[in-house]
Amino acid sequence: MSMLSVRDVSKSFGGLQATHQLSFDVEPGEIVSVIGPNGAGKTTLFNLITGVYTPDEGDIQLEGTSLVGRSPDQVVGAGIARTFQNLRLFTNLSVLENVLIPQHRRRHVPWWQAVLRTRSYREAERVMHERALEALSFFGPRLMSFRLHQPVYVLSYANRRRTEMARAMATGAKMLLLDEPSAGMNPKETKEITQIIRRMRDEGGYTILLVEHKMNLVGEISDRVIVLDYGRKIAEGAYEDVVNDPAVLEAYLGKRSDDASEEGAA
Amino acid sequence: MPGERPIARNTLLTLGVVAIVGLLLAWAQGVGGAKLNDTLALFAIWGIAALSLNLVNGTTGILSLGHHGFMLIGGYVTALLILPDSARQQISSSARSAMTPFTLGLSVEGAFAALGLQALTTPGTLWVRFLVALLVGGLVAMVFGLIVGIPSLRLKGDYLAIVTFGFGEIIRLTASTSLFAPFTNGALGYAGVPSEFGKSLGWTFALLGITLFVLTKLKFSSHGRALQAIREDEIAAEAMGVALARHKVMAFAISAFFAGIAGGLWVSYLSAARLDFFLFFLTFFFLVAISVGGTGSYTGVLMGTAVVVFVQQYGDPLEQTYPLETWFALVGALVLAAGLGGAWFRRRTRLRPVWHPLTVILAAIGAVVLAVALLAPNWAPFDGTFQAFGMRRILLAVLLITIMALRPEGIMSRAEFSWAWLLRERTAEPSDEERAQDAWLSNPDLNRPGGAADAGGAGDAGDAASTAVGRYDYASDHPSAQGDPLPRALLDEDGPGAHPLLERGSKPRDVQRYGSAGDPAFHEDGSEGAPEGVPEGAASGPDPEDADGAAGDARGDERQDEHQDERDDEGRA
Repeated sequence: MSMLSVRDVSKSFGGLQATHQLSFDVEPGEIVSVIGPNGAGKTTLFNLITGVYTPDEGDIQLEGTSLVGRSPDQVVGAGIARTFQNLRLFTNLSVLENVLIPQHRRRHVPWWQAVLRTRSYREAERVMHERALEALSFFGPRLMSFRLHQPVYVLSYANRRRTEMARAMATGAKMLLLDEPSAGMNPKETKEITQIIRRMRDEGGYTILLVEHKMNLVGEISDRVIVLDYGRKIAEGAYEDVVNDPAVLEAYLGKRSDDASEEGAA
Repeated sequence: MPGERPIARNTLLTLGVVAIVGLLLAWAQGVGGAKLNDTLALFAIWGIAALSLNLVNGTTGILSLGHHGFMLIGGYVTALLILPDSARQQISSSARSAMTPFTLGLSVEGAFAALGLQALTTPGTLWVRFLVALLVGGLVAMVFGLIVGIPSLRLKGDYLAIVTFGFGEIIRLTASTSLFAPFTNGALGYAGVPSEFGKSLGWTFALLGITLFVLTKLKFSSHGRALQAIREDEIAAEAMGVALARHKVMAFAISAFFAGIAGGLWVSYLSAARLDFFLFFLTFFFLVAISVGGTGSYTGVLMGTAVVVFVQQYGDPLEQTYPLETWFALVGALVLAAGLGGAWFRRRTRLRPVWHPLTVILAAIGAVVLAVALLAPNWAPFDGTFQAFGMRRILLAVLLITIMALRPEGIMSRAEFSWAWLLRERTAEPSDEERAQDAWLSNPDLNRPGGAADAGGAGDAGDAASTAVGRYDYASDHPSAQGDPLPRALLDEDGPGAHPLLERGSKPRDVQRYGSAGDPAFHEDGSEGAPEGVPEGAASGPDPEDADGAAGDARGDERQDEHQDERDDEGRA
């Protein structure tokens, strides 16, 4: 059974058709990239999967159970966590607290037990700290040392991105949706995040769906690439095939009027 | 690290302080006189209410303005349940009473008698009945908190604030209608509520202590983190699995419970329950206390409450009749202080010129008014007297404005008082080792494979780093990466140094400041392969003066620009 299956999902905002009859599957352990020009509907797709929007029609299933109609926190409970394109961290809280918060749902202890610091609460808290450090250790010493107790607002942009990814991992989800994980990073950091995403799949066992604009990153790690344009899927397949697809080239670069015949031939 | 805090020491310190406070309170109750006693009791009662409001306003970040409504409910329920028989007879014999025999019969005493607990109906056990009444009052308020919490699921920010304000007023206004008059006795309210609890420092401070304990423990728990996540970013909190509805309603309910307790103590303090004891000004006072003390900080809120209660209790001299020259002298002194304070502030924040024309003009006007009022008190315009009604509230409002302008996050900001802070234990500060590791990691010149630094001092830093590496040790899994805190595969082959723009952009300023002196790995020119051959003096590397100087220069430039602008302004004027 595929991890995530999106079936004929459509969503429109007033007259704007954000996604149209979109269908694709993500298999367990795959890294799938969604690319497309600005406004193609990539982030809308993420919002549909994570329950921020409800699709007008179609169905979204995680391992066979439908996610349609669930609120974002229920979707997290079902096993899909996401990061945001423009960082939504809890800026006044420390890195560690940021990574502890997503575990609150899974290790829920009644509030009065938390106040009295009962044994079961302390046990839950200990496990939460352990999991948080586990998620953070993916990023090595960058977040593990004194940064752990620093508020997020003092972190650099790249470290914030790392914290957000660690936070998504700490939800205990099986599948991660990464919205432009390398935005605002320099080439060295991009390279590093590429490795980390791969390790998240290899060592963490996550299935990953990502939106990305940096094509070298996409080409390097994706098992499969899905190209969107105006809310429709215009291509799907291996990176090399997809980037040479005439429809994709047209979507990104526009159509040259004089070689329309050549394109038809291709 | 939180796990390594000396818990036993902190507990001992806390217990010691509690004991000292207890002794001081016992002394104040015995010797201090009625005024001091009332002030301290008021502080404790309002403290409970302000703390509970802070759970919603500060920790969860929902602006709620209906707290006086919850206090009213708790207060009326408590008052009705412990009202003595004499007061009940007075109400039932009054022609204007709206109460029915059934509602008048509601009391803890009656309930205990019906349950056969005769031992608990004696005058000596009034405290048990009071506690039960207080608890019931809190629980009823909690139910209303749940009801108010429900609109908060759909509304946000200002809209929710308006709804809660409306709710508080609705509670107060419907309490006097014929529907609820049998319970509240309409506009008459109850008189003769036992006042030995609301005015007892032992009772009020014990309950304040419990409230503080519960709310701070809640804040520093997994639930508290979830609430703070809602405050920081609601969308992200939901995307991280925090059930918004449940947590917001929980915050409202717990907050309303303690507000109900505060209400019960408040009616006992006033020895009566009337609708005009629960006006919006109560919530206003708590909001001032929260804003002054620090939104989200419970210890800060207690400080803010102390300020508010002090002004409220000892502000009488402000509202008496004084001759006009006294007022002018006061205003002159304040304006002079504002001018001088402005100059001091500009000096402290390094704004130039320190003597901005506005501060000079303010100080001059203040000085002139003060001098005239002091030297010529009999001057004709100063004939007459003036009484400033409401000066206390004006003072509080001015205080609020000043705090908002100078320190919008409040005195304590979001931090809580802690022993570690008092004893100057900086847990969040990096150790030298961690700084070394961080500098190594973030300096592309130093961790470039095959770079000059590899041959030189980077080895030291690398060792320092690998000992401080966190739980996942990548190097041990990948022998090829031994000695590197990050495997070489993660590093750019060309080295970012290859591109001049990147090199400048990715070299963090902090490297110089963080680098430990004498460690050649942090030499600014590490990329040029100098470390080995550099003489001792120069190898001390990161010149602290240099780093500071650079930072200072940048700041100086900005200031200079401002200065320039100001001069331009003056020139134009």
